Amino acid sequence: MKISTNWLKDFVTLAPPFARIAERLTLAGLEVKKCETLTQPSDTLFEIEITSNRPDWLSHWGVAREIAAVENLSLKNPVLDPETGRVPPPGWKIHIKDAAGCPYYTGVLIEGITEFKTPDFIVNRLLACAIRSINLVVDITNYVLLEVGQPLHAFDADLIQGKEIQVRKPKQGEKFTVINGAQIELRPDDLVIADSDRAVALAGVMGGKDSEINERTRNVFLESAFFNPGRVRKTSRAHQLSSESSYRFERRVDPEAVDVGRSRAVALIQKYGKPRHISAVIKAGEKPQLEVKSIHLRFEEVTQVLGVEVKPSQIALILTRLGLHVKQHTSGGSAGETAEHSRSPSTLNKERGSWTVGIPSFRPDLTRPIDLVEEIARIYGFENIPETLPARPPLSVGENPRLSLERKIRYFLSGAGLSEAVTFSLVSDEGLDPEKDLQHAVRIVNPLQHGLHWMRPTFVTSLLNVIRKNVNAGADSVQIFEIANIYGAPAGGKHPVEERTCAIALYGKKAVQSWLDAARAVTFYDLKGYVEAVLTSAGCQERCVAKIEKSYFAGQGAEEIRVWQTPVAFLGEVSGELLKKWDLKEPVFYAEISLEKLMEHAQKIPAFKEWPRYPAIERDLSLVVKESVKSGDLMREIQGMGEGLIREVSLFDLFRGKRVPEGCKNLAFRVVYQSPERTLVSEDVQKVHEKIAQSLVQKYQVSFQGR
Amino acid sequence: MNDQISRLENEAREDLARADSAEKIESFRVAYLGKKGKLTELFKLLGTVPPEEKKAVGAELNRLKQWLEEAVEKGKGNAPRTDASREIFDETLPGIRPPQGSIHILQQTIQEISAIFHRMGFETVEGPEIETEFHNFTALNIPLDHPSRDAFDTFYTPQGQLLRSQTSTVQIRVMKDRKPPLRIIAPGRVYRPDTVDASHSFMFHQIEGLMVDSGATFSDLKGVLHLFLRELFGSQTKIRFRPHFFPFTEPSVEVDIQWGKGWLEILGAGSVDPNVFDEVGYDKAVTRGFAFGLGVERIAMLRHGINDIRHFYENDLRFLRQFA
Repeated sequence: MKISTNWLKDFVTLAPPFARIAERLTLAGLEVKKCETLTQPSDTLFEIEITSNRPDWLSHWGVAREIAAVENLSLKNPVLDPETGRVPPPGWKIHIKDAAGCPYYTGVLIEGITEFKTPDFIVNRLLACAIRSINLVVDITNYVLLEVGQPLHAFDADLIQGKEIQVRKPKQGEKFTVINGAQIELRPDDLVIADSDRAVALAGVMGGKDSEINERTRNVFLESAFFNPGRVRKTSRAHQLSSESSYRFERRVDPEAVDVGRSRAVALIQKYGKPRHISAVIKAGEKPQLEVKSIHLRFEEVTQVLGVEVKPSQIALILTRLGLHVKQHTSGGSAGETAEHSRSPSTLNKERGSWTVGIPSFRPDLTRPIDLVEEIARIYGFENIPETLPARPPLSVGENPRLSLERKIRYFLSGAGLSEAVTFSLVSDEGLDPEKDLQHAVRIVNPLQHGLHWMRPTFVTSLLNVIRKNVNAGADSVQIFEIANIYGAPAGGKHPVEERTCAIALYGKKAVQSWLDAARAVTFYDLKGYVEAVLTSAGCQERCVAKIEKSYFAGQGAEEIRVWQTPVAFLGEVSGELLKKWDLKEPVFYAEISLEKLMEHAQKIPAFKEWPRYPAIERDLSLVVKESVKSGDLMREIQGMGEGLIREVSLFDLFRGKRVPEGCKNLAFRVVYQSPERTLVSEDVQKVHEKIAQSLVQKYQVSFQGR
Repeated sequence: MNDQISRLENEAREDLARADSAEKIESFRVAYLGKKGKLTELFKLLGTVPPEEKKAVGAELNRLKQWLEEAVEKGKGNAPRTDASREIFDETLPGIRPPQGSIHILQQTIQEISAIFHRMGFETVEGPEIETEFHNFTALNIPLDHPSRDAFDTFYTPQGQLLRSQTSTVQIRVMKDRKPPLRIIAPGRVYRPDTVDASHSFMFHQIEGLMVDSGATFSDLKGVLHLFLRELFGSQTKIRFRPHFFPFTEPSVEVDIQWGKGWLEILGAGSVDPNVFDEVGYDKAVTRGFAFGLGVERIAMLRHGINDIRHFYENDLRFLRQFA
């Protein structure tokens, strides 16, 4: 909201420079975002931003009240109409049929307006606050709204049927034409102002087209009321109609300002509109009272919360300056007696006493002692509260082991040349199978854009997006990972589950070409290597693999890695269909590692293992075998036959074609024999090695070749 | 002929054993494989071999040649470096860089901020992103139908769960779970249906902090946050504490840091509202504490001069690698 300092001067004496006042207000919680100087007419404007608990600042009078409090100044009141010696308008009635929605409604009938020119000062002040002048009566209602914060509504009295004002819920199927010409269907929970015939205003939100003031209006019915904040808010949101009025009503207006605002407007209309006749005020209902009218505040509460001793006299002064009614108590003495100097500190605090603080109608936000402590701190100045560091209790600060693992994985993968991505948890259904992927996914009912309806059940489409984006930007290789949650909706409507997951996607080249090395494309086994290394770094042993299928993987070539039979990771080559959809020319290899499951088998503190002190002997096994035989089975077989003498079996060559028969492959294993107990001699090894070879021939029909 | 071949082989083995430097390996190579080398000479004699033996002798010569070549190659690798072997050294050849990856700047920022708080005895905790109305609103003293909820628009699931709009949900869970004293920070993703532009995103990262202790005061809050901001932005950092409103703290404060000529809001904080202690079952009469919340993106943007929040989620490698 814009505040004109010229206008403020009607209520409080401002000691320039204005920038200083703006800073004082900001540091008291009434934030002045901008301070701007106008010429013609000369003025300084404050652009203020209020917090939702302080609607009493939404007017010049309210801001002036705050300035008076922080600067310790006196506050003048606006000039009001005395409202005496008038007679009620004959035949006019107000019926509140929904007291919860409108506890208090008042009105005045003003007849025979003779002047229509809005005085310049009103036009200028409205303009300074970004409101255009329309006509005298509307300008005055807007002026009063900006001045004292009470929204008013002026009806053309001749357009009100039956001289009757009803405040009621809409009738079944009732429609209403808003001032801007739009017709809306009223909701049963809305609140309308109606005459004997039809709705003439959406209470507190907007007037109706049918009863709008126009340039021919001579007779005006002026409304000033209190509407229930929650009801106004619901109506305003439901119909997507908001106004300066609804903005204030939904934050709650000061019930006392209902009368003040009306009297202020009547005074201005009388002065500038020169009406022939003004009626007495007609009213219905009662002004709502504060739920908490006074608060008991103890001195030590202030000290305990703030960590600074504010003098009791200063506390009382601050609260008084804020317009609160302060009554001091001292225990063990008569009111007003202070005995600060002769007592021990422990009794001193008690003796410093307490206060009963009466709350004015414009501060419904003050209901508890803590609310008063905040007020004291605000005016005392946050900058005057010292800075201290709390003593640290002798408690250990553990670290969530999964977070340590995540950090380790981040360092490992980034060190290996992968870049960490952060992508949105919300995804569209593009590339995902409605059955296999989305059946148990968590849906969002109010997505913002692009059909981002799903809490992702997999990162695959998110990472494909990143690859595509970079390829389009000219990158030939994209190697990325992300650590975040995937989400799933368990059957039976239970609360959704979230699983921390590390996803890896590889595209393009493993190594770039240099003057020393050739380039090489990434393969599935590069990805598998990363995954295996991550599992190893977590201290996972006893792994096995199994083939799996996923909707987004190519039919062959996807597998799952299990640790102690728990699947902890899966990886595969992204299907051609998806590559086409994402317009990618090279294959994409994709893996997910469940960090939650990995944690179950992770070794947090690795235990030292002694390595064998006796020399090792290496022997190779180069063999030809049918394609259908799996290398892992052969390795397990070799290890199993080793009579405890094999430390390691590794595959160092895989070869097809040329001298290898069709349908077969040549595998070369290196077997490292080593005993933890003795030095092996060639004969020991030879015996075992030959036995293994024979067993492989019998069991897997391998043939040996070569030298 | 075969005799000659095996003699040459034995001779070569002896010579090779003595070739213990790169220069000697090179002279060995010239002696055997050079244009007038011993093996080259033997190859010239191949024409004199009777045709029926030619194939076998040829194969044998080739075997020897291959062995010699491998031996030379191997010898070169094993030979100790001497200054002479550096003759071909070109100091301007570029180094072969290891592959360079990167940790996302948001993660780096979270780690850095967390480390500062860890030093002050705060522990990192986590909570779910899909939450209940209770943890996101009710327990945080945010009334269901009130303008104070305007700032906290939320995404909903069909079952009425929601995506947390702030990481303050985690403090509720931790307080319901544990007894004071507490010092925690909770980093994580939060969601608000904001239209995406240069400074808004519907998903972003927050770090929530909470300290609960019977003696915690507002002056402690000031001390902890000022120390934190000094550690993050440098010891010269000027800050100011400005009263504000949050439903879950009272007194509430916004902290600004001086940035150029003006002030920039950097975080929100306050003493925990007694209603929140009530909701989690702490005795509000004796429990005190303070909480703070900060936006990771905002801090990263300020520190690194990043001008558009969308960079964080687009993951252009040209962006990511700048923070390697």
